[in-house]
Amino acid sequence: MIHVRLEPQGRELRLPKACTALKLLRELGLGVNSALVIRDGELLTPDRRLNIGDEIVVRTVTSRG
Amino acid sequence: MKCRKCKALAAVALPSHNTAFCPDCYPVFVRSQVERAIHRHKMIAPGDRVLVAVSGGKDSLALTLLLHELGHDVHGLHVDLDIPGSSTDARAACEGFFAKLGLPFTVVELRREGLAIPLVKSRIKRPICSVCGKLKRHYFNKFALENGFSVLATGHNLDDEVSRLFANTMRWDASYLSDQGPVLPAADGFARKVKPMYRLTEFEIANFSFLRGIDHVIAGCPYSGRASFPVYKSLWSDLEGRMHGAKVQFYENFLRDGRPVFAAWAEHREDPLSPCTVCGYPTSAEVCGVCRIREMVRVESEAPRS
Repeated sequence: MIHVRLEPQGRELRLPKACTALKLLRELGLGVNSALVIRDGELLTPDRRLNIGDEIVVRTVTSRG
Repeated sequence: MKCRKCKALAAVALPSHNTAFCPDCYPVFVRSQVERAIHRHKMIAPGDRVLVAVSGGKDSLALTLLLHELGHDVHGLHVDLDIPGSSTDARAACEGFFAKLGLPFTVVELRREGLAIPLVKSRIKRPICSVCGKLKRHYFNKFALENGFSVLATGHNLDDEVSRLFANTMRWDASYLSDQGPVLPAADGFARKVKPMYRLTEFEIANFSFLRGIDHVIAGCPYSGRASFPVYKSLWSDLEGRMHGAKVQFYENFLRDGRPVFAAWAEHREDPLSPCTVCGYPTSAEVCGVCRIREMVRVESEAPRS
């Protein structure tokens, strides 16, 4: 499983198999410039591969007020 | 993906620039965009005292860091809105950030002005986001003028500017279209206002803030649920995803071709400003917007509650 935490919503979800950061963003309905994809304190570009066991933070960037 | 400059593994991909950068080279790119904006629009002159309006979010704190690193004389001002579950964190983020950099910082508390946002929201039927924006602009400007700052800088980014331009265009609001831009010159009773981050998107600033370890608030304002700007931002995000560079083209072409036309129109229709009869602040009406809000809150507070 890949463990994904969405910020700032705080929602959590799990993905059953490896994919890329781009695929993850698309599954979440987000554009490539809508959110940061973070693994172990490192920013990932859309082409980076996510592996089973990864802990990923997806942080949307649109400020609200 | 590889960094365009040093070929190391990239951390940030920028489709609108058709490029990517590693964690070391990316902040250099961001800094160059801010430097270019300041230089192109002559935003800040040597010796200027710059007041930076800070909210605790990524944009205004990143702006503070960049202006400080570029050698400008910066002072932070935060307006504490007194919103439960939001304002305490925002203020703490600002205080921590300025203490870490060792820069001067001031807080204006709306509660002390009798204008805490929850109170105003409960007493006035107008959309709270526009009222809140008016109050913040008033106190930023007032503090800048009363304390001798020659420039008031805000962290508005390209997404903010495009959303505002789009909203103004949707209404064909010629008055607002006549003076929207990254620089608003000083006028009688108004400080010079600049937006050095206008060439950078929210995504670009969020990456910069992350890489530079800026500890900012992530949660949005709890009152912003019905604001229209997030809707426009979402529309433009979709468009940018299909047409890379659409945002910057829309905005820069407006500055070059659209704004001068509206500015020429406005010269003939400008309402003259005069001092507010209550507080002396410049206004095109008899009483300024903030004094009218204060009066509405007072009247509603004294009215019998059903």
